[in-house]
Amino acid sequence: MLEMFEYEFMQRAFIAGIFIAILASISGTFIVLKRYSLMSETLAHSALVGVAVGLVAGYNPLWVAVIVAVLSAWLIEYLRSNFSLYSDAILSIILSGSLALAVIIVSLGGAFNNSLFSYLFGSILSVSYEDVVTIAMFGTPALVLLLLFSKELYFISYDEEVAKTSGIKVKLLNFLLVTVVAIIIALSIRVVGSLLIGALMVIPTSSALQYRVGFKNTILISLFFALFSVVFGMSLSFYFSLPSGATIVLTVISLFILSLIVNKK
Amino acid sequence: MSLTFKVPIFDVKNLSFRVRGVDILSQISLEIFHGEYIAIIGPNGGGKTTLIRMLLGLEKPSSGEVRLFGKKLKNFKEWYKIGFVPQRASLVDENFPATVEDIVKMGRIANRGIFAGFSNEDAKIVEDAMFKMDIVDLKEKMVGTLSGGQRQRVMIARALASNPEILILDEPNTGVDMVSQQRFYKLLAKLNKEEKITIVFITHDIGVIADDIGRLFTINQKATICNDPKETLSCEDVSTLYGIDAHLIHNHKHEDHVC
Repeated sequence: MLEMFEYEFMQRAFIAGIFIAILASISGTFIVLKRYSLMSETLAHSALVGVAVGLVAGYNPLWVAVIVAVLSAWLIEYLRSNFSLYSDAILSIILSGSLALAVIIVSLGGAFNNSLFSYLFGSILSVSYEDVVTIAMFGTPALVLLLLFSKELYFISYDEEVAKTSGIKVKLLNFLLVTVVAIIIALSIRVVGSLLIGALMVIPTSSALQYRVGFKNTILISLFFALFSVVFGMSLSFYFSLPSGATIVLTVISLFILSLIVNKK
Repeated sequence: MSLTFKVPIFDVKNLSFRVRGVDILSQISLEIFHGEYIAIIGPNGGGKTTLIRMLLGLEKPSSGEVRLFGKKLKNFKEWYKIGFVPQRASLVDENFPATVEDIVKMGRIANRGIFAGFSNEDAKIVEDAMFKMDIVDLKEKMVGTLSGGQRQRVMIARALASNPEILILDEPNTGVDMVSQQRFYKLLAKLNKEEKITIVFITHDIGVIADDIGRLFTINQKATICNDPKETLSCEDVSTLYGIDAHLIHNHKHEDHVC
């Protein structure tokens, strides 16, 4: 079982995967509680535009993905607070717009190949040393910010207006949250893939919520589910030569179904 | 009352709010002083909630000014002095992952610095707020499993945990049974008398509140301020305010006028 760790690429994939599981599940808790679940899907597709630009122009796709995802998150927040549009409609528009743009860029640049496929569905084989460094470099400050403001973000998720009248800088923190989420999503694209990262953010928390426990325990359960899914999913991916994103998502969905059954009212 | 020289908690001048050319509130001027116990009544759509939202900076007035503790709203930083319990407070999302203690602890967040953890003093204040609201036994319980009345006390404990000087409650009895409502009004009166917390709340319950309140604001696009509600709140007033025909019922037990 442990022979997979003899391969350097698996060590890299596990380091990246564990980092992403931690980031995705903690940020996912706030995303789910704030009813922003669809946002993770939208930002993942925006990140794909960055990947496309990176692949075609020859820059590090992960770096460009981080930048484009952050810009997209800011655009969503701007549209949400300055125009009378429904948030899910905004998300849907940007999701399809991003995908269309990514496809055009990729097809113009002639980069429709395996490399793009690995960004869509995640591939443990493709996690390079450079990727691990990028994930740690952006992921560490993202995690620190999330932990530093977790109480405030929790309060905002509970009741935005009450938080505001308690002196919490709601607008700033919402902005911070979407920025951090955009970064995490872009970073996750290597391991989980842009089409599947939404699942790793939303499903561990949705499963944890079934246990009806307090805030801290919800985060811990969510974290455990995400870590287990990544480790188990990547192992399956290694032994059965399957795309890692898909095996991770199916594992986390199995845990979700199990949580539903165990906690049936 | 010799309140003339004191800085009011709220100093509202000529506040108006219009939406698409329709006046929701016009030219409201009022002051709220330390230690007061004020009820706000008025018909649905009369602008009560809008007024409260403007006082708290959640809605921007079309014209006029609100001063909080002598400062303009945009310069006001000491929000922990204000405890706000909104209308929907007792109707929490049942799936929200929060124990009673999690919610009450939220009241301490604004008071602490970014890097400061939850101190022993914070814990003591949270415990104290739960004790005052008689919810210490419930602290491990999930908020979603509580009754309307219990949730209401949790929300007030959360507001109390920031050590506020004023509590503002918007129709706090939505979804709460009669027994809990009476218990609730007693608690409010106690907070006002013993803790010297200024209390402002919106209600439909004109009869129940008459015993304790000091002043009554009636809001129906304009504000009418009534300094002695027991004397002044006549059925004519209520009829005018609500646009219905109100009848006087004498409640001998409390000698209140219930319209």
